[in-house]
Amino acid sequence: MLGPLQPLVDMVTSPLFLMIALFPGLTSIAIIGALLGWLERKVTARVQLRIGPLYASPAGGILQMFADLIKLSFKELFVPENSDAFFFIMAPTTGLVIGAALVGLIPFAPGLQIANIEVGLPAFLAIITLSPSLVLLAGWSANSKFPFIGGLRALFQQTAYEIPLWLSALGVIMMAGTLNLAQIVAAQSTGWFIIPQALGAFIFLVTSVAEMERLPFDLPEAESEIMMGWQAEYPGVLFLAAQGPGFVKLYAFSALFTTIYLGGFLGPSLLPPLFWMLSKTLVVIVLIMLLRSTFPRVRLDQLLRAGWTTLLTLAIVNIGITYLLVVGLPTF
Amino acid sequence: MTDLLFLAFAAVTIGAAILAIEARDLVYGAAALGIAFLGVAGLFFLLDAAYVGWFQIAVYIGAVVVLILFTVMLVGPRMGEAPLGLKRVSLLAAILVSLLLGMTGALANATAFPGQDSCGSGCDLYLLSTSLLKNYGVQLEFVSLVMAAAVIGALALSKTDRGQ
Amino acid sequence: MEPLSSFFAVSVILLGIGIYGLMTKRNAIRILFSVELIYNAANLNIIAFARLRNPPIATGQVLVLFTIALAAMEAAVGLSIIILVSRLNAEIDLSKLSKLKG
Repeated sequence: MLGPLQPLVDMVTSPLFLMIALFPGLTSIAIIGALLGWLERKVTARVQLRIGPLYASPAGGILQMFADLIKLSFKELFVPENSDAFFFIMAPTTGLVIGAALVGLIPFAPGLQIANIEVGLPAFLAIITLSPSLVLLAGWSANSKFPFIGGLRALFQQTAYEIPLWLSALGVIMMAGTLNLAQIVAAQSTGWFIIPQALGAFIFLVTSVAEMERLPFDLPEAESEIMMGWQAEYPGVLFLAAQGPGFVKLYAFSALFTTIYLGGFLGPSLLPPLFWMLSKTLVVIVLIMLLRSTFPRVRLDQLLRAGWTTLLTLAIVNIGITYLLVVGLPTF
Repeated sequence: MTDLLFLAFAAVTIGAAILAIEARDLVYGAAALGIAFLGVAGLFFLLDAAYVGWFQIAVYIGAVVVLILFTVMLVGPRMGEAPLGLKRVSLLAAILVSLLLGMTGALANATAFPGQDSCGSGCDLYLLSTSLLKNYGVQLEFVSLVMAAAVIGALALSKTDRGQ
Repeated sequence: MEPLSSFFAVSVILLGIGIYGLMTKRNAIRILFSVELIYNAANLNIIAFARLRNPPIATGQVLVLFTIALAAMEAAVGLSIIILVSRLNAEIDLSKLSKLKG
């Protein structure tokens, strides 16, 4: 009936396209990113015995972030005069693209995975390694001292914590025997990996908080010290482009932690697997948000020393323990 | 579909490589180099070398481009390339490049590559990992020793500077 | 599947661009760009030709893994040398740095 438009309609209604556009793709990433912003303000408010956003809707201010989005859209969008306009705009935008690519690799339910590639876990970690250079470019392009120092600090921090991240994921790979994320979830049907990999899970959690630059590792955007660091010069809607990747990465990292340590979408079958996946991810997200209200900010040299020496050593110890578990135990 | 992907990746790679060499500002050159590396990684994916492609992304774009950007920002803004007075060198370069392209055209002939161009069912991650660890395990250890030497060397270089 | 000769053509064009940059540019960092392009051209060539063996072997991909790592190391050491040279001589124009001094 539709004639020449038929292939286009086929493509738009294909399951892959719907997954990319709706869930777990772009639309859901945008909505979840906004909701995570609201959740963070609520959680930190409750810890501080406040109420947090309340008035934006009848249900506890849940539309607050959308109200913020509307407000930011009306602000004047300027680019500082001596800055490098191309990188100023493109660097945080590419950060959003990277965040969306990360979410695309994660299995949310059997069959609900945008990209089921054979080397899923190294792919996720490899995409993470792209973010330090983007932050450095964003900080440099603003052509001002505070953003540049913030960009350099972010570069040092994120580069230092990449190695413990890869090494702690190596423990999971050794136990599961595969690099495919869906098969790693399936390999946990006899027991979640967080129990034998307790040290590795701890290292992974700490390094992913450092990679996301959240408190207690948020020196690059330390609000009281260097005026929001590399995000200082971003006006209006670009401010969302600078803040957005933080929340999307929080979502992606928590989902990955759930997938490789907490059994992903596995759970008693009286509820759908998607529910288990999302609720476990939510638990991890709230845990990471509570870290913000609990620990003081770590100084830069303490941070770098911890990344290069302490966590690296612990990760290697974890690999040794995993080797004993995988190879040693079955021979006894 | 793969034809279109190949053309896209090849065009991006070659365009970004030319931009990396010719851009006046070194930061733009470094970013263009990163895009060229991404194009080469895409070509690796098309050749069924998925793990090597992600390795290329993680190491080249994730580390080498960061190092280059950091160095460019530390060394400071230099003037763009002075206009070349070296006509002979660029003539030599042009001859060399045209020779290479001519060789490409001559060899881009189906009969120049005998043998079946297919990876079959055995060309996968299992094959790569077992041969990396079993057949090339000793070489792997040597490469890690060389890497350790390089790291120590770079640290030693930066230390002598501060000793003055 | 695209014929192998077109991958070879891309690799040779990258090699040509790299050699052109190596010969005509004088900024040390730009020369490093050219060297990295030449490395990438060689890696692409190796991976393309590694498909021709039947039954398949993984030697080509293993070799490329090694060369990627070694090229990154060489870039790191080269860049630290460039930083040191720029601190001592205040410029990194390789045609002027012809004396082994400093």
